[in-house]
Amino acid sequence: MPLLKDEDQKYLRAEFARKLTGPVKIVFFTQAQDCMFCQPTEQIIRELLPLSDKLSLETHAFAPGSEEATRYGIDKIPAIVLVGAKDYGVRFYGIPAGFEFSTLVADIIDVSRGETSFSPEARDKVRAIAKPVDIQVFVSPTCPYCPPAVRLAHMAAIENGLVTAAMVESTEFPHLAHQYNVAGVPRTIFNGTVSLEGAAPEALFIEKLLEAAR
Amino acid sequence: MPDIPTFDIAIIGGGPAGLTAGLYAGRGGLRAAVVEKLMPGGLVANTERIDNYPGFPEGISGYDLAQRMQAQAAKFGAQFVSDEAAAIAIEPKSFLVRLSSKAQLRAKALVIASGAYPRTLGVPGEKELLGKGVSYCAVCDGAFFKNQDVAVVGGGDSAVQEAVYLAGLCSTVTVVHRRSSLRAAESLQRVAFRNGKISFSWNRTVVAIEGGTQVEGLRVMDKETMKEEVLPVSGVFIYVGYHPNSAVVKDLVQLDENGYIVTDENLMTSAPGIFAAGDVRRKLVRQISGAVGDAATAAVAAQQYIENL
Repeated sequence: MPLLKDEDQKYLRAEFARKLTGPVKIVFFTQAQDCMFCQPTEQIIRELLPLSDKLSLETHAFAPGSEEATRYGIDKIPAIVLVGAKDYGVRFYGIPAGFEFSTLVADIIDVSRGETSFSPEARDKVRAIAKPVDIQVFVSPTCPYCPPAVRLAHMAAIENGLVTAAMVESTEFPHLAHQYNVAGVPRTIFNGTVSLEGAAPEALFIEKLLEAAR
Repeated sequence: MPDIPTFDIAIIGGGPAGLTAGLYAGRGGLRAAVVEKLMPGGLVANTERIDNYPGFPEGISGYDLAQRMQAQAAKFGAQFVSDEAAAIAIEPKSFLVRLSSKAQLRAKALVIASGAYPRTLGVPGEKELLGKGVSYCAVCDGAFFKNQDVAVVGGGDSAVQEAVYLAGLCSTVTVVHRRSSLRAAESLQRVAFRNGKISFSWNRTVVAIEGGTQVEGLRVMDKETMKEEVLPVSGVFIYVGYHPNSAVVKDLVQLDENGYIVTDENLMTSAPGIFAAGDVRRKLVRQISGAVGDAATAAVAAQQYIENL
């Protein structure tokens, strides 16, 4: 049974036709067995693909330490990398379902255009960051407050090559949720040390990002 | 300066009231913008199951209901702006809305449908342990407390509804309420009373939430004996009512003593051209069905206002 209803497909097709400017390659790391959410994640991607000729898919059977896994820095699955004009460092670990589906769609648009909806002040601050920052945003698919947190992180990655950002679906990676004391979502972790609770406004997110980059 | 996008009607908030106002405005042939900073649906979107919205005898998830409302508004041409209204200025025959992103939009009439946000308890530990066991969203965070003991604070519909949801995941759920009976709807109460995992701690107020890196207990006080005890729980879900999101219009329209927007019977505020609908408005009952009714009235009244400009 398709996940996307006819009217959703129609809406997304029009949205992509209007907004996608450059190609987006969806690099998907998966595994045939022992990965509960790999197949449903693949189904989401496969239903998106035909909605724009600017979208393409590259699937890799996940093997830790393999050439592709190393190139994209992938250590868990299912993993999605969105590659536009370049690899901006936008990652999804776990299924982008529920509320996170909207994040995936918005990210595809930004990656295609190579631009974000940051305010000019925020964009300047992000672009000025001169040290690597890795952002993990812990979410659950049933959390309506989570997509804005993931979006801010992914937008930062798109604006600055030194920033990488991942959505992490907490229930699929309980060891990580435990490691970072995640008992509520969204929870954003910068470089493993600085943290931010909840769907923070842009200014507070930038403040924490800069704190991690110092 | 690029041209400022101009609409007939700008709707602030994308919950049931805002989405319905968008639907009615769109059907009325108006150019309508719905401004919502989070996901469509507002507070409804984090309700696991809604049983009192007519037309869904089997119940519907808040997420599904919100998606349907948004799709219906979009079908009739409402435009969605993913942003937050930061300031509103009154101009001759129009309003200028400045958004958090610094973008602006202009409209001939406004519908304020910005809803309400959860109240906090204001006790020690609540802020410090947010995201470490303190939560205001059971569907977001419930899964972190699988097979653990949690408490729900409150006695209204939301508290009881979410206690039932959490009972499906957690070992035990203790509902802490400051009165000796619930305010929640009778049918919800029956479901909760029948659930073997849910117990009730009556006549108790919350003194503090205790813990270091995680919640370890909820300190409550018996209102009669003044005795304190600590409930050993690892999660505390707080549902003790709401505050209106009326800050953006506080200097423009009349608010009541609790910050809710005062309207006339056509839902116009004290400022001509600014209407209010849903939870942000002063009224007795705050339900989705009421928000939807408000929005239909406000959108039609706003259209009449525009036609008479």
